[in-house]
Amino acid sequence: MSEHNPDTAFAGVSRLRGRIFGSLAKAASWLGVVVLAWLLFMVVVDAFGLTAASTDWYLGALVGFGAPLATYSAYLYWKRPDLRWIAVRATVIPPAGLIFAGAIFVLFLVFEPFFWFLYYTIAVLPAVAVYGHFATRDDTRAPLAAGFVGVVGLVIGYFVEPLILIMPLPWIMLVWVLVVPAGALIAYRQAPEDRQQQVTILGTGVAGGVLASYLGPALIGVTPDTAVILYAATLLPVAWYNGAVLANDRSAWPGLLGPVVALGAIGGGIVLGGLVGTTGPEPVLDWQFLTSAPSTLPANAGLFPAIVGSVFIIAIVAIVSFVVGVGAAIYLEEYAPQTGVGGTITRIIRVNIANLAGVPSVVYGLLGLGLFVNLIGMGLGIVLVAGLTLSLLILPIVIISAQEAIRSVPEEVREASYGMGATRWQTIREVVLPRAVPGVLTGTILALSRAIGETAPLLMIGAATTVFRPPTGFASQVSAMPLQVFYWSFHQKSAFRELIAPAGVVTLLVVMLSMNVLAIYLRNRYEQQA
Amino acid sequence: MDRDGDGPSLDRRNFLAGVGSAGAALVAGCTSRAKKDQFELEGDIEISGSSTVFPLAEAVAEQFMINYPEVNISVKSTGSGGGFENHFCPGASQFNNASRAITDGERDLCGENGVEPIELTVATDALTVVANNNANWLDCLTVDELRQVWSRDGPETWAAINEDWPDEPIKRFGPADTSGTFDYFREAVLGEEHDHAKDYEPTEKDNLIVQGVQGSEFATGYFGFSYYYNNPDSVTAVPIDDGDGCVEPSVKTAKNGEYTPLSRPLFTYVAKDALAEEHVAEFARFYIEQSGNQELVADRVGYVPNTEAAVQSQLETLEAALEEVS
Repeated sequence: MSEHNPDTAFAGVSRLRGRIFGSLAKAASWLGVVVLAWLLFMVVVDAFGLTAASTDWYLGALVGFGAPLATYSAYLYWKRPDLRWIAVRATVIPPAGLIFAGAIFVLFLVFEPFFWFLYYTIAVLPAVAVYGHFATRDDTRAPLAAGFVGVVGLVIGYFVEPLILIMPLPWIMLVWVLVVPAGALIAYRQAPEDRQQQVTILGTGVAGGVLASYLGPALIGVTPDTAVILYAATLLPVAWYNGAVLANDRSAWPGLLGPVVALGAIGGGIVLGGLVGTTGPEPVLDWQFLTSAPSTLPANAGLFPAIVGSVFIIAIVAIVSFVVGVGAAIYLEEYAPQTGVGGTITRIIRVNIANLAGVPSVVYGLLGLGLFVNLIGMGLGIVLVAGLTLSLLILPIVIISAQEAIRSVPEEVREASYGMGATRWQTIREVVLPRAVPGVLTGTILALSRAIGETAPLLMIGAATTVFRPPTGFASQVSAMPLQVFYWSFHQKSAFRELIAPAGVVTLLVVMLSMNVLAIYLRNRYEQQA
Repeated sequence: MDRDGDGPSLDRRNFLAGVGSAGAALVAGCTSRAKKDQFELEGDIEISGSSTVFPLAEAVAEQFMINYPEVNISVKSTGSGGGFENHFCPGASQFNNASRAITDGERDLCGENGVEPIELTVATDALTVVANNNANWLDCLTVDELRQVWSRDGPETWAAINEDWPDEPIKRFGPADTSGTFDYFREAVLGEEHDHAKDYEPTEKDNLIVQGVQGSEFATGYFGFSYYYNNPDSVTAVPIDDGDGCVEPSVKTAKNGEYTPLSRPLFTYVAKDALAEEHVAEFARFYIEQSGNQELVADRVGYVPNTEAAVQSQLETLEAALEEVS
């Protein structure tokens, strides 16, 4: 047996160096983790004013928060382990819905609801109807016909729009644009065959939307428009998920208590902490901070215009870098010549793209300033220039990650497709791209979350230090979260440096981490499908 | 009449009723698309320029937008010179803040682009020389001593200036040469015949100067009064003797003219043609009116407000320019 014992089998070989290397590697990774954790901890402590709270507050809050959560978790763990994932999903859906509602809200800041109403009614809806009509008859001309109808609708809308002098109330338009299609989708997915039930689901959903527009203002003091958006993005998905779970298995109801327990735990923590504790925390990062404009008074300071500005910029970056980046990657991998003179040029281009990924962001800022502002003559510091400049910045990363994803599709799969007589276009569309999508999406979203934290390029293109209102179009002056944090961290008042800036950092980190979570989620989802 | 039987006709009646009530609801729920004209002023204003004046412009803009919600102001901190060159003179901003007067070169540049700058004084700054809190020996500096400290190729130790002071090398922290504060200090203290010391740590950020000075008992630095006003305990302001005894920087001494030669006017420049737009003119007027506001200029930002007479004379300058463009 002795030859199985590694210590004696290799008695003549020193394992010291290997051990030292192993422990050094371990120390290096722990150093990184500890330093990052410490940084995050400090920032969170400042952002939520945790040092102001007394020990008894923490005890009370811990009991109030922990007790319901622990009870519920224990119940699920011992009694109903089959409901774990239902509970997790049910808990995640409401906050995700709230974030989604925020995104819709921002969209309506740029394009007024009437814009959506008009084009949805005369372009999108007819196009979908035509597509459905052709698709149900297995007619391959469906996309063509739908596209034609859609374009005609857009053109008509463009000419008709200035002539229309009255419009429905905003909340009615929102019900029509958001709630009706969402209800129809739910009805179709829940009861694909049963017409009667479809009508019931759609009717209930729309009635709920109308009800929300009246109850929202009365109960929580929001405008009817906001109430409808909240209803469509949060309440409808929750109702859908809960309804679907119950319809499937009536005894699964304890799993749906997840969000109630989470809310109760947060409320319980706050209430019990307040009862027991002598002093509570003094959070800077609260609803007021997220929804207010910047101010010279620390108590009124907020991040709202910068948050919306970042969202605008990232929307442009996402569209531009995805379309251009994935297009370039497909060309380089599938179409570009790989041999001869053309192949040499392709290789040179590839090497250069890899090099461009390492160029400092300040240089891209200067490029944006020179190209978009000075040469093309767009305005200094506007949304469009900021978005295009950051697109340039992450384009090389997007191209490289998309190339990797496309290259990882096995050559045999392509050969098999060609062998069955498929054309190159059919092979790319039906075989290569579906398998490459997870990698492409992950790479793009990770690149986007780098772009959202960039400061230097925005300084270079003359983005404003302080704007008091969110942008309302692509030519608006814009600020972004990292810029605002940069400014606050050098403010002459210490409250801005020590409290407000950390709150901005935490907000930025939360947005970035959510984007990374989305990337992981999409990758897992598509990998399961592929 | 009953050709289709009872069922279908009932359906049609229901259908008509449904369409009718939906149409009625739509008509009842309609509203005019015309913009509600409840705010008299609307439009965008861009402000560029000095980082020293920036907090003041930010505070004034914030106040103005409370009164006029349809006006959107963005403020950029670019430095006085950078603002003139890249934003104001090319016509990208309507206002440029400056912590020194506009130069002839900048005036020419603006002229080439058809921008005529109108100079308005918006506050007074007391440029503050600071020392470490433990440096008790540095209780006053004459202007001549200050000049020696900051001259190029000047004395290297404190003892070389005044033999009562420690024989330690001078550590200098100050604004970078792109800053209006640097320009003003060089002009007011060093004059024509002396160059500004090269052997110092230049930075655009006041709190980096403070950190540097906090780090050594033998360090000194200078920056605008606002930062010192908001952080009075972090470092010590050194009183300056311009021949009439030691004077500490404060809102009071700068206002009554005792704090020389380091109190300086802060400006904003407005493009004359932009004043033709009503919201720009109204903001310019508001900016000047607020420049006399003790609560806003002194308490909130930390500069010296304009006197009543100064506000009046600035308003007259503005109104004269307004006459010409309207």
